[in-house]
Amino acid sequence: MTEAPKKRGRLFYKFLLIFLIVSLVPLGIVGYYLVNLSQITLNRAISRDQEALAVGFADTVSSYIINFRNVLFDAAHLEDFASMNTPKQQGLVSHIMQLHAAFLEISVINADGQETVRLGRFVHETRMRDMANDALFMKVMRAGEFIGGLEKYMGSYPAVTMGVQIVNPVTNQPVGAVLAKMSLTALSSLLKTGFPETTHTQAAVIDSSGFLIAHSNSKEIYKPDAKLPDDVLKILLQNDAKTGSGEMILESTGERVLSAFAEVTELGWVVYIQRSVSVAYQASDDMLKRTWRMMMIVTVFVLFLGYAVSLVITQPIQALREAAIKLGEGDFDYLPDLSMPNDEIGELAHTFMQMSESLKVKTVEIMSAKTELERLNRSLENRVEARTRELKSAQDELIKKERLAAIGQMSSVVGHEIRNPLAVINNSIYFIKTKTNAQPNPEPKVLKHISIIESEIRQANGIIDEILGYARTRELNPKVMHINAYLEDLTMSFPVPAHVEMIKNFAPENPAVSIDPDEMAQAVRNLIKNGIEVMPEHGKLYVRSEVAEGNMVRIDVEDTGCGMPKETAEKIFAPFFTTKARGTGLGLAVVKKVADRHKGRVEVTSVVGKGTCFKLFIPILQNPPPAPGGRS
Amino acid sequence: MANKILIIDDDNHLRESLAEVLGLEGFDCLEAGNAKTGIASAKKNMPDVVIMDIQLPDSSGFQICQELRKFSKDFILIMMTGRFLSAEEKTQGLSLGADEYLTKPFDLQELSIRIRQLLTRKGK
Repeated sequence: MTEAPKKRGRLFYKFLLIFLIVSLVPLGIVGYYLVNLSQITLNRAISRDQEALAVGFADTVSSYIINFRNVLFDAAHLEDFASMNTPKQQGLVSHIMQLHAAFLEISVINADGQETVRLGRFVHETRMRDMANDALFMKVMRAGEFIGGLEKYMGSYPAVTMGVQIVNPVTNQPVGAVLAKMSLTALSSLLKTGFPETTHTQAAVIDSSGFLIAHSNSKEIYKPDAKLPDDVLKILLQNDAKTGSGEMILESTGERVLSAFAEVTELGWVVYIQRSVSVAYQASDDMLKRTWRMMMIVTVFVLFLGYAVSLVITQPIQALREAAIKLGEGDFDYLPDLSMPNDEIGELAHTFMQMSESLKVKTVEIMSAKTELERLNRSLENRVEARTRELKSAQDELIKKERLAAIGQMSSVVGHEIRNPLAVINNSIYFIKTKTNAQPNPEPKVLKHISIIESEIRQANGIIDEILGYARTRELNPKVMHINAYLEDLTMSFPVPAHVEMIKNFAPENPAVSIDPDEMAQAVRNLIKNGIEVMPEHGKLYVRSEVAEGNMVRIDVEDTGCGMPKETAEKIFAPFFTTKARGTGLGLAVVKKVADRHKGRVEVTSVVGKGTCFKLFIPILQNPPPAPGGRS
Repeated sequence: MANKILIIDDDNHLRESLAEVLGLEGFDCLEAGNAKTGIASAKKNMPDVVIMDIQLPDSSGFQICQELRKFSKDFILIMMTGRFLSAEEKTQGLSLGADEYLTKPFDLQELSIRIRQLLTRKGK
């Protein structure tokens, strides 16, 4: 498992979103419409209610006024009122005033316009007035009855004057009139009772000229210039309708109010009710708030429900996912519990389990196949490696052989071509020498140079011998030899100079070896010659034989010369490598060649300033014939 | 009377110098530059010793050897070579009747002694 793929969203949230959209959006739309509708309806209802209130109050006002008029009417139409004497009338009127506190003044006027009775609640005037030309009296006499003449009684209390005819019951002719002033402050009290301040409602009664008759706020009514705001009056007075309601914004305060009005029948007055919108619509606002609260609760509930449902739906999917991850990691043994509901997800889980089972089987097969393949691969690799090694060594061998063959061919040609001129020189110098020696007094310098030439010819010939000897490939001609006798013969015949002491030490086992005596002798001689050459003044040359590594005999040729550095020792067996002023660099190459041809090897150890030891290893011959008598 | 030696070699210097040296040693030397004249000279002059190079431009020492042996058993035949001879070559040469091998360059004193020994053995 490497990096997890980028998540493209979670199923859980998708479900949640879908649930929310599906459930909340229609709910929201319906709720919105319902709330709006309810509010409009409610507001209308409130408006109508207010209008009805105004109408009801107009009736009350009308009844109130008419009631008082009727009191007067009843009194004036008493059968004997017309015929009563003045004191009697005065008694009746006084009685009425006692009964009805609203009456401020009551006057009885005869047909001629002379006041006969005059009673006042606060003012006790006894002087009778001549009312013949009084406008109100005349109106009453003409129309039979009258309500009007609104005024501010005593400058502050709104009052109305009403009058009724006194009718002679016999003739049914008017014989006078009763005029009464009545206080309207009771109306204000009535309004105040109906619309207390706490309701934030103002109610008023005005007449058609805008005179403020009553107000729910009694302070308003007692003001000398008491009247409703102009904008309200304008609407009320210009309106022809008997009732009405609506919203308006007050110019004076900017307050938004719900207003209603109703005409008081018979009187031409108007009842006006005004409520602040905020108060009026409080109910609908409350409803709105409640609705929103409900919506919030529903939303939260739906969210929780969606969350729960999503959990229920996504939990098995999550479990499946975990199982798939486990499977992906190759963990077949532990898979999460996939006991799934009996639905599509359950089916998926079931399919998944089947898949994982089959995957398990297949994986085991693949793993075993892989192991087998790896094993085969390894063995193949090993074989290829071994084969490569063989090939490489064979190739190296071939290259070496080819190189040696080439060297051999070249050396043979060169050797032959040089030997001819050498032979000629040799012949000629022999001739000269013979001739010179034959003279009675041969020149000594000539003789010296002749001998130099002879020596150089021998040296040149020796070099050619070496080259040809190294290059020559001839069949090995092995013979069984005992190492001690062989080495003894070899060293005995070697001309060791006087300044070198040769110390011999041979293996007591005297092992038998199968060697080509000529070739081996050449090799050992080369080593001895080398050793002597590196000790030009004096030194010791050790020639030893020892049994080594069980099945080998080691021939050591050790000198006490100057030794050589490691770099030189590494190259010393390479053909044509030499450190001498004169030398072919083939002496040690021949040693190595001989060692190789005898299935042995040659090694060198050297310490600069102390000496060098060459070690020639040759295999010991197993089951050799018995050693010849003598040395062992 | 001095013994007669025929030298067959295409190398003029070698042939002449060898003849001069052997002349000093008291031999009577004849020379030939190739196989054809060499064989003709040998048949005509009947030398005691024939020294020949193994390699000649028109033939080989072995063929000369063969030819001369057919002609006479008396010749002492010596072969010269500049290179190592393999065992086969040596065997071949000896079977064709060569008496001696010389590897160039050779010790002339030793050569004259060897020739005299061979002459003595042949009773000449």
